[in-house]
Amino acid sequence: MTLLKRNPNAPVTWQGELPVRNRYTYGLAGEKFFRTLKDEGRILGTHCPHCDVTYVPATIFCERCLAKLDEWVDVGTSGEVNTYTFLHVNLDGSSREKPEIIAFVRFADGGLIHRVGEINPDQLEIGMIVQAVFKPTVERIGSILDIDYFKPV
Amino acid sequence: MTAKIKEFPGISLNEQDFTDGKILFNFDKLNGLYAWDTGIGIGSYLASLKNGVILGSHCRTCRKVVVPPRTICEWCFRPMDEFVPLKDTGVVNTFSLCYVTWDVQRIKDPEIPAVINIDGASPMHGIMHMLGEVDPQGVKIGMRVQAVWKPANERQGSINDILYFKPIKEK
Repeated sequence: MTLLKRNPNAPVTWQGELPVRNRYTYGLAGEKFFRTLKDEGRILGTHCPHCDVTYVPATIFCERCLAKLDEWVDVGTSGEVNTYTFLHVNLDGSSREKPEIIAFVRFADGGLIHRVGEINPDQLEIGMIVQAVFKPTVERIGSILDIDYFKPV
Repeated sequence: MTAKIKEFPGISLNEQDFTDGKILFNFDKLNGLYAWDTGIGIGSYLASLKNGVILGSHCRTCRKVVVPPRTICEWCFRPMDEFVPLKDTGVVNTFSLCYVTWDVQRIKDPEIPAVINIDGASPMHGIMHMLGEVDPQGVKIGMRVQAVWKPANERQGSINDILYFKPIKEK
């Protein structure tokens, strides 16, 4: 007898889960950016006087001249739709009834990628001004999703 | 190099800072599910652990009994001939006292992983498991140990169906 037959009562696979967890801290500039977003509902950027560039979201170094930035500017809560796309498929691959609208909303020389809501997809245009709709203060956790979505002004 | 640096730049964080909300962070859980094919040998091994038996396999040509059971003999490369149930007793081959757990927590009472040569298998053939019910300083190579099993209804066909090995008290 050789051992070439599987025992029908034996488990075929050994199953398990690798405990992969991570915590991402936002760094010096990110901490201040998200803290302000959470507590005050304001969007901050940093300005480089040498290059005359305002970074949104805020960064701690200028990526052009590598200078340290400490000039913080409030860029308001309205930005311009720079580009957008419609998502017809959910993260798990199932199809959506109503497409989700994702746009790059320009603030100063940077911008945020976020949802656009309260709009008919046909009416969305590049160059349109949209405004951030924040979650209620108690629900904010210090994440970019503290902005619920952007709506047309 | 690092010896020359007296003070490292940056902000050090501890667990308290996260729980107290001093720092904002994003928590994420990656999907780490896996399924590993047991094969014929290990499948039978796990099935018999569920029944409270440590299984080995025997090669008639080499007169070797290995544990866990393999389907091919490592010495003659022939298929092994039969599964053999072994005793749940054995001898400590080697051991270690671990004061740090797998997720890097310091502990006072050490975990004692050991390789245990199972009785009935060929000499120097054994499995790795934990020792329990023993004074860490009293563990010796060559000590006779016996498996402590989970209750039969809690066993699920896993090496953890054996809780640990405990020393056999000499009479």
